[in-house]
Amino acid sequence: MKKKLLLVAIAVLLVVSSFAGKVTIWSWRPQDAEVWQKVEAALKAQGHDITIEFTSYLATEYDSKVNLALQTGTGPDLVYSRRLPGGRTQVLIENGLYLPINDHVDLVNFPEASLKSVSWNDQVFGVPFAVQVVGIFYNKDYYDQFGLQEPTTWDELVANAAVIKKNGIDPFFISGKDAWTLTMQHAMAGVSVLGPEWIEALTNGETNFLDPKFTDLNKKLNDLKVYYQNGFMGNSTVDQDASFAFGQAAMVFYGIWGYQVWKDLNPDMNVGYFMVPTATADQKPYAYTYLDGAIALTSNVKNRADSIEILKFCATPEFGTIFAGVTYNIPAVSGATIPPNPLLEEVLEVYNNHASPFVYWVGSVFTTQKPSLYDDVLSPGMQEMYAGKLTPEGLSKMAQDAISQWYPPLMGK
Amino acid sequence: MHIKLKYLLVFILPAMLLYTVFIIYPLFDSLILSFFSWSGVGARTFVGLRNFRTIFSGSFGKELFNAFFNNVYFFLMLIVIELGLGFLIALMLASKIKGAGAFRVVTYIPNMIPLVLVGFMWGLFLNPQVGLVNQLLKLVGLGGWAQPWLGQSSTALTTIILVNVWRNLGFYVLVILAAILDISPELIEAAYIDGANNWKITWRIIFPLTFSTFRTLAILLFIWSFNIFDTVYALTGVQAGPYRSTDVLGTLFYRTAFGGLGSGAVDMGLGASVTVFIFAIVMPVSILYVYLVEKKQRSA
Repeated sequence: MKKKLLLVAIAVLLVVSSFAGKVTIWSWRPQDAEVWQKVEAALKAQGHDITIEFTSYLATEYDSKVNLALQTGTGPDLVYSRRLPGGRTQVLIENGLYLPINDHVDLVNFPEASLKSVSWNDQVFGVPFAVQVVGIFYNKDYYDQFGLQEPTTWDELVANAAVIKKNGIDPFFISGKDAWTLTMQHAMAGVSVLGPEWIEALTNGETNFLDPKFTDLNKKLNDLKVYYQNGFMGNSTVDQDASFAFGQAAMVFYGIWGYQVWKDLNPDMNVGYFMVPTATADQKPYAYTYLDGAIALTSNVKNRADSIEILKFCATPEFGTIFAGVTYNIPAVSGATIPPNPLLEEVLEVYNNHASPFVYWVGSVFTTQKPSLYDDVLSPGMQEMYAGKLTPEGLSKMAQDAISQWYPPLMGK
Repeated sequence: MHIKLKYLLVFILPAMLLYTVFIIYPLFDSLILSFFSWSGVGARTFVGLRNFRTIFSGSFGKELFNAFFNNVYFFLMLIVIELGLGFLIALMLASKIKGAGAFRVVTYIPNMIPLVLVGFMWGLFLNPQVGLVNQLLKLVGLGGWAQPWLGQSSTALTTIILVNVWRNLGFYVLVILAAILDISPELIEAAYIDGANNWKITWRIIFPLTFSTFRTLAILLFIWSFNIFDTVYALTGVQAGPYRSTDVLGTLFYRTAFGGLGSGAVDMGLGASVTVFIFAIVMPVSILYVYLVEKKQRSA
């Protein structure tokens, strides 16, 4: 009898210990798995017996999974949350499915702008984890080989593309099948070519999408397609990563998150970065930057104490150092040590000094309602324009017609 | 034989319960939801018929009808290719040619491949630069025909349909083959003795005697064509590009109810009104299908 009791006690202890200290995290970023292994090791070294169970889902399915799981009580302790403004995150906060963390976590290492993207009603709903910088990434070896300089105007960019093409290399690799990349391309060109002042005027309703400047940007992009790879409308970002990493194309309109994949595919690759050049030499170029998201505490949390320990760690420069070291992304937390890499240093400098204060893609008001400038206008519209089925003027009209349906400053314009 | 009602209920109740919970309830909930605006979280807001006004007008209406006609195109193409080709292959297999058994297995193999894998495989095969399809065309001297198959509106939807045919053809071949093999061999032998050739036997005996199978398959194809989602999602994603040229009602519903990319607002109520529209199309045909099946059973 005693033996039986002992066995039962051991079994109970084993079951309890297998759950003790376990924290579940969901994300749309599979590349972060190694980050959490290192965080777990760091926390263990600090004396916290915490096991992190990290699960990633397809980015396009992630939000629905989180919504459903949190409402049915089957969600994880922590989730990667999208930034604000954004309809999806807003409803989760308003309905108490994300919990405020500012009473538990010291957020002194985050700039005001980052915290603003995760705050609502003076409360903070998550620890920001990364900021993204998008722009033109190029193969430095080709630029050196063909004697090219980083362009400072749109015309110089086109001239560089012409030289590269003449030398038998695809100047740009475009993932035309993944429509979101075309929206991103338009948006990153917009902050430099149109400039933040124009985007501010658009946001205030002082101008609209029918402005000839917007149409001119559409035209510039449309004219650039002669320098894209053949069949670019059938290519995805997976194709792009391989083609750029192995030198089939010299430039891509993309984000710093791609660097990890390119380096994995081709460690010898020499990548450079520049902001999309301006239309004229007297303009100042800007970079499109945004807070990628935050790690949020959910209302489904089962292991609250350990989850808060993890969040506290995520708010330290040490987490930022781990995050940058694994992903080559820029951590949102200040004071982290970035891997000694000229590209990352340049991108960080751009983020700190050249970020456009006004944007019309991720993080903008134009993507918060339907029809959204992102999903419903520029994604299909850019594809249609590149396919020659929509004129640059038509794309402007499409944008104006869609956004003026719900955005008061642009109504009736 | 007379069975007491209580015994009947004992046997029927579990199935009825499951059917009610998983079919009837979601159906009515979708119908009710279509009169509300709901982001998927929190309280629902009653909006009356506003969702239906939205889906049939303006830019949404344009997307809805574009998706609807793509479903119609899907159905017509599947009818012609899957049933036509299925009939020809079934005829060939029924004629007991050498290796018919192996061919039957080969035809059915794609049906066993998970759809996610089909999407991945064909995504690679259709790569414009290095994909198998374009490489094969170049190899046989038809390099001029090489296309970005999924990247242009003129070919994308048809390409998806052909991938669908590749995956599902085996099922139709098997069903039609079973119907052909069900025909009494004496009938065909008698026709041969009377001097009929293969062409006449095919169109005067085999086709009329398997017509009820074609009718059933056509109705099922109609229902499946209007519920199509997975193949499109696997090959061109929720954006159903290029510029919605591969959009079907299933992807439009998904985009509306669950969102596409980014952090934009979603509306389950609006999505539910799209499903009500799909239901309104599919339901009458489903009733017709049930009627025909019952009629066939009665006549048998």
